[in-house]
Amino acid sequence: MYTTRATRTRARDLFLVANTTDELGGVTAWTHQMARLFQTAGHRVHVIGVHESDLKMAVPETPGYPVTALYEQHPPTPRPLRGTRRFSVPARRRETRRVAAMRRAVERLDALLRPAPPGSVLVVTQVWPMEWLREIDLSHLTVIGMSHESFAYSRACHRYHWVKRHYPHVDRWLALTQEDADVWTAEGLNNVGFMPNALAHLPTIPSPRTDKVVCSIGRLADQKGVDMLLDTWAKVAPFRADWQLHVYGAGADEPQLRKQCAELGLDGSVRWLGRTDDVPGALAASSVFVQSSRGEGFPLALMEAMASAVPCAAFDCAPGVREIVRDGEDGLLAPPGDLDALADRLLRLTGNPRMRDAMGERARINVQRFSQERVLEMWEDLFALLER
Amino acid sequence: MTRRSAAELFDVSVVVDCPEGTDPDRLRATVRSVLDQTLSGAEAALTGDGVGDTGAVLAADHPHRVRVGAPRGTYVLSLAPGELLERNACRNLFAAARRTGADLVAGRWTRLTGSGSKERAPEWQAALFARSRIVTDLAEAPELVTRGGPGAGYCVRRAWADGVVGPGTAGAADGAAGSGLLLALAARRIALVPNLITTRRAAPDPLHGLPAAADAQRQALALLDDPALRAGLARAFLTDHVLPCVRAFLTLGRDRRARLADEYGTFLAGLVPDDALGTLAPLERVAVCLLAAGDADGVHTAAYALEHPDTVVTPLVRRDDRVRWSDDRVGDPYDVTELGHQNRPLNGLRLLNRVTRCAREDGRLVVEGAVVVPFGLLDGDRTAVLTASLDFTVRDSGDRTVTVPVDDVRPTATGIAWRAVVPLTGALRPHGIGDRVWDPRLLLGIDGERLPPLDLFAEKDIVPAEATALPARPRLTRLAADTWQPYVTARHHLAVCLLPRRGPARKVNALVGYATNFRPARKLKQVRKKLRRTYEALHAQRVKVRVYRRVLRRLPVSRGTVVFESHMGKCYGDSPRAIHEELIARRRGARVVWSYAQDPTGFPRDATLVRRWSWRYLWALARAEWWVDNQGFPHALDKPKHTTYLQTWHGSAYKRMGFDEVRHKTQNAPQRDRLARAVGRFDHFLVRSEHDVTTLAHAYRIPEERLMRVGYPRNDRLVAARARDEREGRFPRPALAAGLGIPDHRTVVLYAPTFRGTPKNRKVRLQLDVREFAERFGDTHVLLVRAHYMEAASLPVTPPGTVVDVSAHHDVSELLCLADVLVTDYSSIMFDYALLDRPIVHYAPDLDAYAAERGSYFDLRARAGGPVVETQDELHRTLAGLKEADDGWQEARRAFAAAFGTYDDGGAARAVVDALFTRKAGK
Repeated sequence: MYTTRATRTRARDLFLVANTTDELGGVTAWTHQMARLFQTAGHRVHVIGVHESDLKMAVPETPGYPVTALYEQHPPTPRPLRGTRRFSVPARRRETRRVAAMRRAVERLDALLRPAPPGSVLVVTQVWPMEWLREIDLSHLTVIGMSHESFAYSRACHRYHWVKRHYPHVDRWLALTQEDADVWTAEGLNNVGFMPNALAHLPTIPSPRTDKVVCSIGRLADQKGVDMLLDTWAKVAPFRADWQLHVYGAGADEPQLRKQCAELGLDGSVRWLGRTDDVPGALAASSVFVQSSRGEGFPLALMEAMASAVPCAAFDCAPGVREIVRDGEDGLLAPPGDLDALADRLLRLTGNPRMRDAMGERARINVQRFSQERVLEMWEDLFALLER
Repeated sequence: MTRRSAAELFDVSVVVDCPEGTDPDRLRATVRSVLDQTLSGAEAALTGDGVGDTGAVLAADHPHRVRVGAPRGTYVLSLAPGELLERNACRNLFAAARRTGADLVAGRWTRLTGSGSKERAPEWQAALFARSRIVTDLAEAPELVTRGGPGAGYCVRRAWADGVVGPGTAGAADGAAGSGLLLALAARRIALVPNLITTRRAAPDPLHGLPAAADAQRQALALLDDPALRAGLARAFLTDHVLPCVRAFLTLGRDRRARLADEYGTFLAGLVPDDALGTLAPLERVAVCLLAAGDADGVHTAAYALEHPDTVVTPLVRRDDRVRWSDDRVGDPYDVTELGHQNRPLNGLRLLNRVTRCAREDGRLVVEGAVVVPFGLLDGDRTAVLTASLDFTVRDSGDRTVTVPVDDVRPTATGIAWRAVVPLTGALRPHGIGDRVWDPRLLLGIDGERLPPLDLFAEKDIVPAEATALPARPRLTRLAADTWQPYVTARHHLAVCLLPRRGPARKVNALVGYATNFRPARKLKQVRKKLRRTYEALHAQRVKVRVYRRVLRRLPVSRGTVVFESHMGKCYGDSPRAIHEELIARRRGARVVWSYAQDPTGFPRDATLVRRWSWRYLWALARAEWWVDNQGFPHALDKPKHTTYLQTWHGSAYKRMGFDEVRHKTQNAPQRDRLARAVGRFDHFLVRSEHDVTTLAHAYRIPEERLMRVGYPRNDRLVAARARDEREGRFPRPALAAGLGIPDHRTVVLYAPTFRGTPKNRKVRLQLDVREFAERFGDTHVLLVRAHYMEAASLPVTPPGTVVDVSAHHDVSELLCLADVLVTDYSSIMFDYALLDRPIVHYAPDLDAYAAERGSYFDLRARAGGPVVETQDELHRTLAGLKEADDGWQEARRAFAAAFGTYDDGGAARAVVDALFTRKAGK
C-alpha cells in the first residue's frame, strides 16, 4: 500500500464557512484549529460564520486571519406561511424582514467570494450555511462540504434531509470515517469522501499510569452517558476498592448525576472535578480513560487520552470511535449500552498493569496517524484530487 | 515543474468499444457522460469498427478529451455504447485506486430492466459492494469471479493490465475477450467501492443470450482451478442464465420452443453439474434438467410451475416413498417430494388445467381442456364420478359470477378431458362499465369432492383473436361495447374482455374518454384527490393524538366502563380475557369495551368492539373508568385523571426488559422519558413471584405500592387443569382437541418459539424442521405450532393431521391445557406451562448467542424444569424417550414452578375483581 504525497503545496485562498464564528463547541474549535493549520502551511484563510454566538468560546489569541459573521445574532428560522398564518400581518412582516436580511447576507457573502482567484477552495464545515451558499454562483470555486457527526446521528434529525438536499451539489463532501462515507454512498450520494479530525498536539510527557484513577472528560449532558458510567462504576467499584473515578466536566445534568452517585453509594470512590482547561494535566494523573457516550462523531477526548498514553475503555457508539480505538490493540470497546461489557473492560484495564502499559504505549503511537501533519497532508491530497 | 509524459496526461481513459453498426445517438450519449465527469483528467478513447463519422466528429469537437484510438490514461475503464458513467465515477475510482494502490477497482453498476424504462442492479451486488474494502484473496469476494468477472463498472491500471491481457485489449468489450475475469484473477489487490459507476447497461436477453453465455461459461471454467469458485460459477450460471431462459419459454409458441430447446440442449452439455443442481430448489432443478434434456414442452410446463408454485403441472408418480416428476422422468434430479403435493388433500390440489382448443362454433365459444391428474388418482377399480362447471367471474370485483355447465368431462389415459360450449352473448350480460374483463375457472369435482377453482392455462396460438370474437350485449346497450374477445392474460390464463369494435361503440368510447380526460375533468380529479388527502390528514394519528390530548381526555368519566386490550388488539385472550370473564360473571351491567387490531372475529359479542386507533377507540379510552391490558395502550395516549390502569403484563422475564435493555439505554433522553411516562401510567401491575418483582418491576421502575401479588388471571385455567388431571386424569381431552382433529392416542406437542424481531413483511423461519418432525413422529404425535403473536410463520405442507398451525388461535392457555409436552426456546410461556406439571423441552440452538445479545436474568441451563437441547437430533431423542426421562425432571420442574409462579394459586381473576371492580374497592 502506498499513499501519495503532494510533492509541493500551492498557496491557495481558503474559505472556511461554519454555523458560527465563535460558539463554544467542537466544530467551531475544529474550524479555528484548521484555519491556523492551513495558515501555517502558507494558505490565505478566511473564516466565515453565519452568525455570532451568544455563548462565546475563549479564543486564546486574536486570530491572524479575517473572521466574518453574516448576522449579528442567530437568523430567524423560516416558517412557511400556511393555514391561518397566511392572513397574519405580523407573520408576513417578519417573513419579509427575514427575506430581506437573507438577501443582504447573501450579497455580503457574494462580495467576499466573488474576487477569489481560480483554484480557491470553499470548505463548508456544516450543512446549514449551504442555505446561503446555494444562492450564489460558486462555479469559480472548489466547494467541499463536511459533516461532523456520524451517519446515525444525522439520520435521527433534520440534518439527514439537509445533507441529501444540499450536498449533491458540492464538488465533494466529507464524512468523518470511511464507514460513514460508505453508508452515505449507499444512500445514493456518490460524491462522498472522508476526513478524520486532527489531534491538536501531542503532550511531551505521557502519563506515568501510576495513580489508581479512571478518568472521564466530557460535558455532563445526556449524550455523554455519564449516568451509564455511574451504573457501570457501581459494578466495578466493589472489586477495585483502591481505585477512584474522576469525572471532569460541567453541565445541566450535574445535580441529578450527583444524586444518582449518592444513591449508588459511590461517593467514596467518585470525585467531581468540574470543567478543566488542562486536559493533559488531568490525563497525566490518571491510568485509564473511560467514555460512555450514547452518540459521538470523531471524539477528540479519546484521541487526547491516547496521546497521553492512557488506554481507553469506551462504548462502540459510532464509526469514529472504532476508527480511533483499535479494539484489543490500543484500547477496549464495549457494545453501546451494555454496562456489563463496559464494566468488564474497566476491570480488565484496572486489574492488569502490564496490559494497561502495553495498550497505553501503543495508543500513543497509533493515535499519531491523526496528527496535524498527517491530516494536513490528507487535505492537500484532496485539493490535488479535486483539481485533476 | 517537470513535463508530464503522455501517460500521465490522463488519469482515467474510458474505452468505448464500438462494434459495427453502433447507433450514433447512443455513442454520443456515452461520450457526453465521459465529458461530464467531475474528474477533468478523464478522456474517452473510441475503438472498434463502428466508430465511424460520429466518433470522428466527437473527437474533432473535443480534441483534448475524445480521441479515436488506443487509451493513454493511467487507469482504463471500459464502456459499451449506450452505457453511461455516473458523474463522479472516474473521480471515485481514481481516488480509491490511488489510496489503496490496487490493480483493479470495482464499483456498482445497474442495467435496464426488461421493460426498458427502469434500472436495477443485480442482487448479488448488494453484499459485494456493501462497504469499501480491499480484497487480496478472491474467496473474500467470490462474486467477482462467479458471475464471470466484475462485468462493468471497474477500472484497471493500464501498465499492469497490458501485461496480463496484452496491450490494447484491457479496455475491449468484456464479454468477447473475457478479460474482466482474467484481470480479476490476476490482480494482487482489488479495491471495492460502494459507489455507482456505470448505468444503463443493456437488459439481458435470457432467451437469445444463452449460447453466448454458455461459451463464456466454458472459457471461465477453463480459467478457474479453485473448486469452491468453480462450484459458485456453475451455480451462478444456472441462476443467472439458464433459469431466466426457462422462464422466458412460457411466452414462446410451440414451434419456436421446440427449435430452441433442441438447440440449447446441446449447448448446455457439461455445464449442468450435479452438485450445482443440488443447490437449487426442486422446481428449478427440474426445469434446468428438462432444458438440458431438450424437452421443449416439459420446459414450458416447468416454467408455468415456476410462476405458480402451488400448482401440480405433471402427473406426479410415487416411486419407493419418493415423489417423481412424471412416469418418464423418474431420475434423482426429478425428485419433487419436497414440494409436498403428496400431502395435500383433494380440496387443496391445484391441478394444471390446459386449454387444448378454443374456437367459435355457431355463435358460441367452444373451450376444450385437459386437467393433469397426479398419483393415478383415477386409476382405482371403479370409475370415478366426475362433475365440472365453468365459472366466469368479474375481474377485480369478484362478487359477480356466472356459471356455465361443462358438456363433457371424462377421464383419459393421462388425466381428465373436458369440453364446454359457452354461449357468451347470451350467458354473460355485463353492464358495460366496470365489468369489462371476466376470468373463467373450472370447478371440478371428483367423487363429490370439490377441487379448488382451476385457472385455464392457455397459449397465445391456441386462442386466435379473430376466430374467437363473439358479439356482446351489455345492459348499457351496444354503444358501451359490442364484442367479447377471448385473450391470454399476462399470467398465461384465458380470459374474455369487452371491446368496442364497431363504429358506434368506438365513437361513444372515444367521446367518454374525452369527457373524462379533458381539462375540466382533469381539474376535477385533482380537486377530488386533494380533498381525499385533506380527509386523510384529518384522520392521521398525529391529529388524533392532539384531539385526544386537548379535548377527549377532559370529557367526564363513564362510570363502570372497562376497556380491555390484549397484545395490542391482536387477540382475545390472556389475562384481560380471564378478568373479563370473571367480571361478566360477577357483575352484570359492567360496560365492557374490547379493542381489536384488524379483525373483530373471535372477540366477545356482548362487548362493544372498537378498532385500535379509531376515533371510537380514543373516545372509549378517554371516558373509561378502567383500562386493562397486558402490554401497553399506545404510549402517546396519556391516561385521563379519572381512569385506573391495570397492567396485567404478558409474561415473566427471562431476557432483559425495559430500562435493563441495551436498546433503551442508548436512546436519548426524550425517548427514555417517553417510555418512563408510558410506564408511569400503570396504577396496578400484576406479579406472579418475587422473581417478577426483582426483574420486571425493577426494569420498569414500578414502585412497590403498585404491585399486586396475586398471580396471572390467565393461569387460573392452568391451575384448575392440573387439579383436574390429578383428580380424573388427562382424558377425555378438552373440546378443543376435537375441533383441531386430534385423536386421543396421539401425544400433543406444542412448539412455541419466542419473538425474534423479524421484519414485518417477512415470515419467520422456524428453527425446528417441521417436515422432519412429521416424518419421524407423524404416527404417534401431533405438532401444534404457535408463532409469537407479533409474527407469522410459514409452514411446509405435511401429511394431514401431523402438524397444525395454531398461531391464529386466540387463547394460548387453552392450547397449553391441551398439550402433553411443550417445546420452546426461552419464551415466557415456559413459566406458565410449568404450572401444569407436564414435561417441558427447551430447544434453543442459539441460547448462548441470544443470552449474550439480549442479556438474561438467570442461567436457563441451571434452573430449567426440563432438558435444554441444542440440536434437532437431540430433540428427537429427548421426545422419543420422554416418559422414561421425565421422572428425573419432576423435582426440578416443581421447583421451577414454585419459584416463578409463587402467587399463581388459581384465584387471580377473583382476587383482581375483588380488589378493583367491586363497590368495596371504592369504585
